[in-house]
Amino acid sequence: MQEAGIRGEPTKLKELVVEASRALARLDAGRLEELALSCQALNRELTPANREEREALIRQSREAAGDMATFSRVLEATRANLNVMNRLRDLRMGRLEYTHPQMRDPADRGSGNGDN
Amino acid sequence: MGTISSALSLMSQALNADQAALNVVANNVANASTPGYTEETPTWQENDPILINGVSTGTGATETGATSQRDRVLEERLNQQQQLASASGSRLTALDSIQALFTPDSGSSSSTAGDIGSDITSFFDSFSSLEAKPTDGSLRDAVLSSASTLAVDISNAAKSLNAQRSALDQQTTGVASQVNALTGAIAQLNTQIQSISPNADAGTLEDQRQLDLSQLSRLVGINQSSTEHNGLEITTTSGQLLVSDGSNYQLTSGNVGGVTHFFVGATDATSQLASGGGSLGGDLTARDTDIPNALASLDQLAYSVSTQVNSLNNAGTDANGATGTAVASSTTGAKTLDIFSPPTTLVANTTSGGDDVSGAAAAMSVVMSDSSLVSAASLGQGTGDGSNATAMANLANQTIVDGQTPSNFYSNFVSTLGSTVSNVQTENTAQTASVTQLQTQNDALSSVNLNDEASAMTTLERSYQAASQVFTMLNTMMNSALNLGVETAVA
Repeated sequence: MQEAGIRGEPTKLKELVVEASRALARLDAGRLEELALSCQALNRELTPANREEREALIRQSREAAGDMATFSRVLEATRANLNVMNRLRDLRMGRLEYTHPQMRDPADRGSGNGDN
Repeated sequence: MGTISSALSLMSQALNADQAALNVVANNVANASTPGYTEETPTWQENDPILINGVSTGTGATETGATSQRDRVLEERLNQQQQLASASGSRLTALDSIQALFTPDSGSSSSTAGDIGSDITSFFDSFSSLEAKPTDGSLRDAVLSSASTLAVDISNAAKSLNAQRSALDQQTTGVASQVNALTGAIAQLNTQIQSISPNADAGTLEDQRQLDLSQLSRLVGINQSSTEHNGLEITTTSGQLLVSDGSNYQLTSGNVGGVTHFFVGATDATSQLASGGGSLGGDLTARDTDIPNALASLDQLAYSVSTQVNSLNNAGTDANGATGTAVASSTTGAKTLDIFSPPTTLVANTTSGGDDVSGAAAAMSVVMSDSSLVSAASLGQGTGDGSNATAMANLANQTIVDGQTPSNFYSNFVSTLGSTVSNVQTENTAQTASVTQLQTQNDALSSVNLNDEASAMTTLERSYQAASQVFTMLNTMMNSALNLGVETAVA
């Protein structure tokens, strides 16, 4: 897992946001879950120890603002896609349950169907 | 015997049906790599039972054809997202070319059209240098030289923008031809599909139609709706009919105001097509909005700088003791001491209430060839005076261009352009990501079994959940950091 933090050799916030957008575009759930853990770790270390670290964090936040807007839009598009897929699944499940003749329980068809 | 015969017949039909089903499977395997092919499943139809010795007996099932496993809902969503991604993609390509005109090349201080921002500074600085030594010929030459650099760079930028606009205009005509070819093909497919569909699945024909629809969605914003017997009606996103079952309606073109406009029937649909999506929408937005906006800014800059500088130079005294006159040349329209060619005859703009300055940037040039004609001195102050040069240098800090200083006006123009590019880039990234996601889901739905479909859905849900967590945490973190910045600044 990629380390993310402000101290030491930090993963910049901008890189983190860009990577999250890319992972979401290709639906890489594993990578996104890793990034969520990285963010949790980063959150725990958030309190800057000194002025330099605080300024670095502010600078990084400003630098990442544009990419955060992109991430937000990708997330929004994903939510819309998820809604479509959920509606589609409901539709398909309904078709399977009520209208698809091949998937019906043979017992429901009655006798004399010719395949007995 | 009748019973044995019936049983044999039943077995024979079963074998035939199984063979037909195997053929469908073989067809699926053979077309696994065919673009746009959708998996088919055999369709079974129960045969009518017969009466044998008064007892109803089944006669098996017959394979009546194959049904493609396609999901219109998903395909429509995919097409819609494709339209948006194509529109922002082609607009972004055009915007990148526009921006490149005003962005210094890597490792250089100049761009394709020079560095207009630096040119403005250098031009007004040349008057600052002249004010101290108004009789210095080399400093006078430097004024004309920097004026020429500024005029050439602004003029080149405007000409390049006009050339890009012409190229986009040609491009849109080509796209419209492709749209017409595709709508014609879809109308033909509709006819074929409708003749088959009441009794059988039009499998490969529907795949072909879907491919054409997908391609059409990349070109133009469309809405589609199903008609009787699996036919299709296609309209532009603003409602103009392009295809209705077996008929298609061509996009025609005509020249309106120097650019190509597109018509559906007698209706000019250009502005609707621009906002509708597809690469045609992106190209038209760049052609009719982005480039005209950039040109308007350059025209405003060229017009204001030229008229203000000319006005002051004509109001002063040159190195020969002559002053500008209000008499314009009969051939060029230039006054005696004009530095820049005077902008073309102005026409009052009835919409904005201001002057129409269009064309001022492309026509900008330096008409003064003798630097002794630069009026460094104010009227009546003698040729050794530099106060008029000071006045011209001070124009750099006066709000002479649409309420802004020349440098600020140009800087804001470039900044606005950059912001537009950035916004369109964001849109395009999100839309392309959405298309990628939908294609992944579409592949999972149309070519694998139900378990794999469920797995694909789970992946989508997991990805969304994890991404939401990442977004929430990053958003909180960044907001806290920026608030920290505010507190620090206040402290």
